[in-house]
Amino acid sequence: MKRWSWILIVVLLLTTVLTACGGKQEAQTEKIRLALILPSTIDDMAWSQSMYEGVMAVQKEMGEDKMEVAVSERLGNPVDAGAAIRQYADQGYNIIIAHGSQYQNVLEEIAPDYPDVSFAYGTGYEAHDNIFAYDPQAQEGAYLQGIIAGMMTKSNIIGVVGPVEAGDAIKYNYGFQQGVEAVNPDAEVRIAYTGSFGDIAKAAELAKAHMDAGADFLTGTAQQVVGAINAAKEHGGVYWLSNDMDQSSLAPETVISAQVYHWEKVVQQIIDAHQKGETGKHIVLSFANGALELKYNPQLESQIPQEVKDAVEQAKQQIIDGTLTVKLPEN
Amino acid sequence: MFAQLLHPDVIIGILATGVRLATPFLLAALGEMFAQRSGVYNLGVEGVMMMGAFSGFWVTLTTGSPWLGVLAAILVGAVMGLIMAFISVTLQAEQGISGIGLYMFGWGLAGFLFRLLVGYVTSVDGFHDIPLPGLSRIPVLGTVFFDHNWMVYFSYLLIPITWYILFKTTWGLKVRAVGVTPEAADTLGVSVARIRYTCVIIGSMLAGMAGAFLTLGHTNMYADNITAGRGFIAVALVYFGRWTPLGIAGGALLFSTVDALQLWIQVLGIDIPYEFPVMAPYVLTIIVLALVSGRIWQPAALGRPFDREG
Repeated sequence: MKRWSWILIVVLLLTTVLTACGGKQEAQTEKIRLALILPSTIDDMAWSQSMYEGVMAVQKEMGEDKMEVAVSERLGNPVDAGAAIRQYADQGYNIIIAHGSQYQNVLEEIAPDYPDVSFAYGTGYEAHDNIFAYDPQAQEGAYLQGIIAGMMTKSNIIGVVGPVEAGDAIKYNYGFQQGVEAVNPDAEVRIAYTGSFGDIAKAAELAKAHMDAGADFLTGTAQQVVGAINAAKEHGGVYWLSNDMDQSSLAPETVISAQVYHWEKVVQQIIDAHQKGETGKHIVLSFANGALELKYNPQLESQIPQEVKDAVEQAKQQIIDGTLTVKLPEN
Repeated sequence: MFAQLLHPDVIIGILATGVRLATPFLLAALGEMFAQRSGVYNLGVEGVMMMGAFSGFWVTLTTGSPWLGVLAAILVGAVMGLIMAFISVTLQAEQGISGIGLYMFGWGLAGFLFRLLVGYVTSVDGFHDIPLPGLSRIPVLGTVFFDHNWMVYFSYLLIPITWYILFKTTWGLKVRAVGVTPEAADTLGVSVARIRYTCVIIGSMLAGMAGAFLTLGHTNMYADNITAGRGFIAVALVYFGRWTPLGIAGGALLFSTVDALQLWIQVLGIDIPYEFPVMAPYVLTIIVLALVSGRIWQPAALGRPFDREG
């Protein structure tokens, strides 16, 4: 019995050592092999789904023979994500996108070990060496949505359902407040946070509290907003301004407009830069470069007064040509 | 700004929300109390809640009846409890690890089935509030306690019912005995395995029901990770409540009411950095736990598998 267990141990050790040897960097091939790390699921109707759709759109255009995609979901915890990122890098994936501002530190740790691989994360701006940072200027669309809310609110109370004061949420909330202030200084914008990106039930509860406190326009960011949107839908009599993607299918009578992120442009830029060897870029998504777009819900568009649409259009042009800058906090 | 908080309508709103938010904790923790009293701790409550949430949601979506949904959630909970009991009692595995395994299994399976059977975020028509005639008209207390859906009322009833079963029935005595000295109970002819199986299954049935509350009695929708850690908080509440129904109820209400309070503090724009309100429920619970003095008693056989030869 004892001899067999020794043989077993030796066999196990050999297997481990040999597979570890096989894990070194493979030679770069022409084919793009892209790995996408998501904090939630590909069908969360928000942050993760919009990026997933962007990646898929690029793959469709490039063709599956030229671009291979692998997706890992539910890796909101950066430590778990780090393990997955290393595995993908070891398996020879040449572009790894970690979709969330929380992955910055883990990428800083891993990227130096794989100089031939391009890593990307966002919302972020610290880009260098082989780490790309993509940076949606969420405050721009937020400003425009702030104009809509500020001009259309009847109760002068507007609620924001925030996740954590980080990344996308900071930009969005700042821009939104300025948009409301610009057209309606009497309106009160109340910002509340759930403390998590993914607690759907708490986001719903926060939306309910806002509505009980008198808000008639609500907005918010992160994958948990679907809970808040549903609560707004059930309550009735309030409008929701959505972010990341067009969430009006969730609540066609409630979601009045959306700031849509065209991630496919970002993914394409990363691929092009990687192939040219110009990695480590800070990629900005803005209205000026067409990566951000404001969409109205066709079902509710008639309820938006023309003067509101004109004000939005004017502000949008000013943002694009630079005469209007939406301020951000110093950080 | 603080003056706004002291407005009677706001206070009543906060208390009513606190009662409603406490329901999933109450259901799951009272169930877990039975399991732990018999000596088995089930860390997989979170996974069972997720499967309960999904089953309740999906059955309601396909049949149109939230009642069938709750029934499905309870049955799914029972099956998962059976699995946990088999692993912990018959196979005598390390309960902490198998509990976490059950959690991951529940999360994964719920997400997988959701993608397979539904595939997109949608809502259902869940349970509506039933204001209790007469009682709901009592000023203050009426709105706080008696204007909710039936699952909230059920969770109130569960407090005295579980207390009675655990402390006033023979079966309850057997459960407590098995959790303290299973060897002695065994020599007196009590089937330790059967009691533990039953308790773990009851605990999981209630956990499944707690999950169904989140989808059918609270948000009326399902999305991945809708439980967001509530199952683990429920397990912690069992310890906080010293394995007694009243203690658990007190802990659940304290935690949820402070949670409701912190949401309103933020919503009213009171100028505190948001991190403080968000951590308030957890910090206050820890403070109360530290202040409540008395011997720390726990079921002596908690976590130790029972083997007649051992």
